Amino acid sequence: MSLPPTKRSLSNANSNATASSSSSSSPHFHPSMKKAKSQAVACSLDPNKNGLHHHHNQDDNDVVFDPSSMALDDDSKPDDARAPAAANLSRKKATPPQPAKKLVIKLVKAKPTLPTNFEEETWAKLKSAINAIFLKQPDSCDLEKLYQAVNNLCLHKMGGSLYQRIEKECEEHISAALRSLVGQSPDLVVFLSLVEKCWQDLCDQMLMIRGIALYLDRTYVKQTPNVRSLWDMGLQLFRKHLSLASEVEHKTVTGLLRMIESERLGEAVERTLLNHLLKMFTALGIYSESFEKPFLECTSEFYAAEGMKYMQQSDVPDYLKHVEMRLHEEHERCLLYLDALTRKPLIATAERQLLERHIPAILDKGFMMLMDGHRIEDLQRMYSLFSRVNALESLRQALSSYIRRTGQGIVLDEEKDKDMVPSLLEFKASLDSIWEESFSKNEAFCNTIKDAFEHLINLRQNRPAELIAKFLDEKLRAGNKGTSEEELEGTLDKVLVLFRFIQGKDVFEAFYKKDLAKRLLLGKSASIDAEKSMISKLKTECGSQFTNKLEGMFKDIELSKEINESFKQSSQARIKLPSGIEMSVHVLTTGYWPTYPPMDVRLPHELNVYQDIFKEFYLSKYSGRRLMWQNSLGHCVLKADFPKGKKELAVSLFQTVVLMLFNDAQKLSFQDIKDSTGIEDKELRRTLQSLACGKVRVLQKLPKGRDVEDDDSFVFNEGFTAPLYRLKVNAIQMKETVEENTSTTERVFQDRQYQVDAAIVRIMKTRKVLSHTLLITELFQQLKFPIKPADLKKRIESLIDREYLERDKNNPQIYNYLA
Amino acid sequence: MPPRAPKRKSAPPNSLSVTSSDGSSVSSKAKTKGFVRIDRMFDSYANSSLGMIDPDGIEALCSDLGVDCTDVRILMLAWKLKAQRQGYFTQDEWRTGLKELRVDSISKLKKALPELEKEVGKPSNYDSFYSYAFRYCLTEEMQKSVDIESICELLNLVLGAQFRPQVDLLIEYLKVQSDYKVINLDQWINFLRFCQEINFPDLENYDATQAWPLILDNFVDWMREKHSSF
Repeated sequence: MSLPPTKRSLSNANSNATASSSSSSSPHFHPSMKKAKSQAVACSLDPNKNGLHHHHNQDDNDVVFDPSSMALDDDSKPDDARAPAAANLSRKKATPPQPAKKLVIKLVKAKPTLPTNFEEETWAKLKSAINAIFLKQPDSCDLEKLYQAVNNLCLHKMGGSLYQRIEKECEEHISAALRSLVGQSPDLVVFLSLVEKCWQDLCDQMLMIRGIALYLDRTYVKQTPNVRSLWDMGLQLFRKHLSLASEVEHKTVTGLLRMIESERLGEAVERTLLNHLLKMFTALGIYSESFEKPFLECTSEFYAAEGMKYMQQSDVPDYLKHVEMRLHEEHERCLLYLDALTRKPLIATAERQLLERHIPAILDKGFMMLMDGHRIEDLQRMYSLFSRVNALESLRQALSSYIRRTGQGIVLDEEKDKDMVPSLLEFKASLDSIWEESFSKNEAFCNTIKDAFEHLINLRQNRPAELIAKFLDEKLRAGNKGTSEEELEGTLDKVLVLFRFIQGKDVFEAFYKKDLAKRLLLGKSASIDAEKSMISKLKTECGSQFTNKLEGMFKDIELSKEINESFKQSSQARIKLPSGIEMSVHVLTTGYWPTYPPMDVRLPHELNVYQDIFKEFYLSKYSGRRLMWQNSLGHCVLKADFPKGKKELAVSLFQTVVLMLFNDAQKLSFQDIKDSTGIEDKELRRTLQSLACGKVRVLQKLPKGRDVEDDDSFVFNEGFTAPLYRLKVNAIQMKETVEENTSTTERVFQDRQYQVDAAIVRIMKTRKVLSHTLLITELFQQLKFPIKPADLKKRIESLIDREYLERDKNNPQIYNYLA
Repeated sequence: MPPRAPKRKSAPPNSLSVTSSDGSSVSSKAKTKGFVRIDRMFDSYANSSLGMIDPDGIEALCSDLGVDCTDVRILMLAWKLKAQRQGYFTQDEWRTGLKELRVDSISKLKKALPELEKEVGKPSNYDSFYSYAFRYCLTEEMQKSVDIESICELLNLVLGAQFRPQVDLLIEYLKVQSDYKVINLDQWINFLRFCQEINFPDLENYDATQAWPLILDNFVDWMREKHSSF
């Protein structure tokens, strides 16, 4: 709309604008509370300002702001009159009414008086209009005139009484309207819609009245303290009479609660009705007191009952799904009809009743099942729900005890020792994926998994460390086909995770070393690259001190190759070596390698010669060294002439020595063999068993049987056949014997004792005097393997016995270092 | 750990004689003078070829005193005399000991025995007597521990009167256990501490995390287990 250049054209513009709107007896206001509440929008009946409201000022040809009609009043109160006019104009951004001012001044002469019944008459007009509005009847008087009437009354300082009169009038109608609701329909939904209607009407009516008395609102109300705007007055009256008609209020609240409950039970309800009524409560300022409180109580009861029932009826995943759905529903409810502020307490109530109270039961009943079933999704749901009610700590504890319990089954069952490491790896992988996908990689949970694993892997001393070493041996040993390098690397990395948890790393080292030695010496290693990669992993994990012996072993092997090369080319070898034999020697540095018990054997002459020549060669190169032959580690390839075909046999040195005897004899007794070979009894039995009772039977035992007895005798197997040309009979060497195992373990323990003794002496040497408890504490800090306090006591007592320490004479809790 | 040579010269088993030094500084001349009766007494029990009282002499002495030769009072007398070697009293030991007891005849010695018993009973003396009893059992050169059987008898003799129930149980335990074949001085001393400090029979103030020797930890475990199995 373009700005009118003059006042006259302004009034024209007004009439033009309003003319288009159609007349209607009940003007339609936007019922929405948001609009009604906001004065700035609803109050502006000013047609120029807000085009939306044009149709409220229907069919008025007389223009309210016509300056000519105002002139009359201007006479008496020129200042007062001009002020609002100016205000109006300025609001319309019209040009300042300078020419009009001159006109006005001229007219100020006579003193017009008000008609005596001016107030009464004006009020009568207004009253009938208000009545008509409340009764929804058409009123004869047009709104424009009414507005003017209010305006006039205000100008004559009758605003106060007008306000009171309007208030009284409104109160009568409102109270009547609310009273009419008492005893209405027993059907709550019907009743609620009646209440809604009543409220809707009131809003419309109050807006209408305020529209008429806008001037009153703008002047009298604004200028007088402690007076409510007409709109607020209407609300206040409604609130007052609603609380007087307590039945109505009560019934409304009950109705609302009932409706929400039936919605929770799955019935469709009229949400707009709920929305409108709750908006009413908010508008009246009684939402939190009259509705929210009982609503939350009701919710609490509802979900308490539901929680109990569902926990009994359904299994945990279903229950969690249900809870999740419920929380979602309540959230929706807040978006749809509840006040936004209710969301927090409502969700909290639902969470408390459905979740918090049932946390232990949920964990008890379902956690293990979900973990066992690897139910990523359900666990994820559990995690996110639990995090809402700060129950993650309980979940974490449940996880910890789950791992411990499940792990215990894996670790402690001695019959399942074979599968322990693969089972643990699998278990760990499963936990890791659950942690990643369900527990959103929570740091605390990660630590819990680690702690629990460390606990369970150390539940049994030593054995897990040993089994991990053996598992690696299996993986790194030749003949492990089907796994690619990458897969092998992956496995090594995973095993390393387990290794990290092990407290007794010395046990691992001992067994790993023993197996590594066999792999290297018997040429059974699958890949030197993989071996080295494993060593470097261990090195990063435990430091070079841990691996330098292992690395030394590799060095020895490489060095031995060179030595063998130069031996072959040496003069000693070319001149003196017996023909028909090829030999290669591994020279092992004592200390790097596991200690092997010396095993005597009477070697065939050729081999003895060979050994001597090598020895001569070696010592000529490296004088001052001592060579000791480790017979138990030797292996040979023999060419065998069986009547049914020639074969090559890969055998151990002991097997070789035994078989060579049969070059000169057909049949030998156990005792004969023992005497001629000089092999230790038990070892000999094992050797004979492998030759005569195993898969490849190059000898025959008489009588037949699995075990070798003293009276048994052996004959060369004339009828030996085999599909392959080259046969391996030395698997026996790779196998670990019971003695080997115990001696490895014992050595570790022996080593530990030395370490404890050394640590005690080290500590006492610096401290001189120390109490028992402090000594024990310090020992636990220094020692890197698990040890019982009783074992420490034993060592302390042994040192007392050997007079490194003494118990203080006055305080038996204190030890003195004896220098 | 392999046994190693003792770190320093092992102290003589009865270092006790050094600690209690009263009366040992009397000049030898004065000694000889006042020792006529004491010496005569000594001679009557001594084995003249050895120049000291030997086990036979002690047996004779016991029968003259009217006490059994396994009586604890004889052990007390040995303690008082600071006898170095089990079953033998040297003349020096005899002289200083009897002088201290102010005794020069068998009847006086008999009367002095209750006094001696009282003296040993004093807390300051008792510890010294108690460890003396252990050392008295070390008969071999370099011997540091005593076999279980002797220890049981010794316990009976030394602690039996005061701590009957503890001693009975301890002896029973020592005989059934198989971890220890000998007892060393440290363990021996701690037996006494145990009897003196630990409430019996509830053992509630026994704390295995303290410096008690392992054998006592085991003993307590054994008692508790035994108790709970009834």
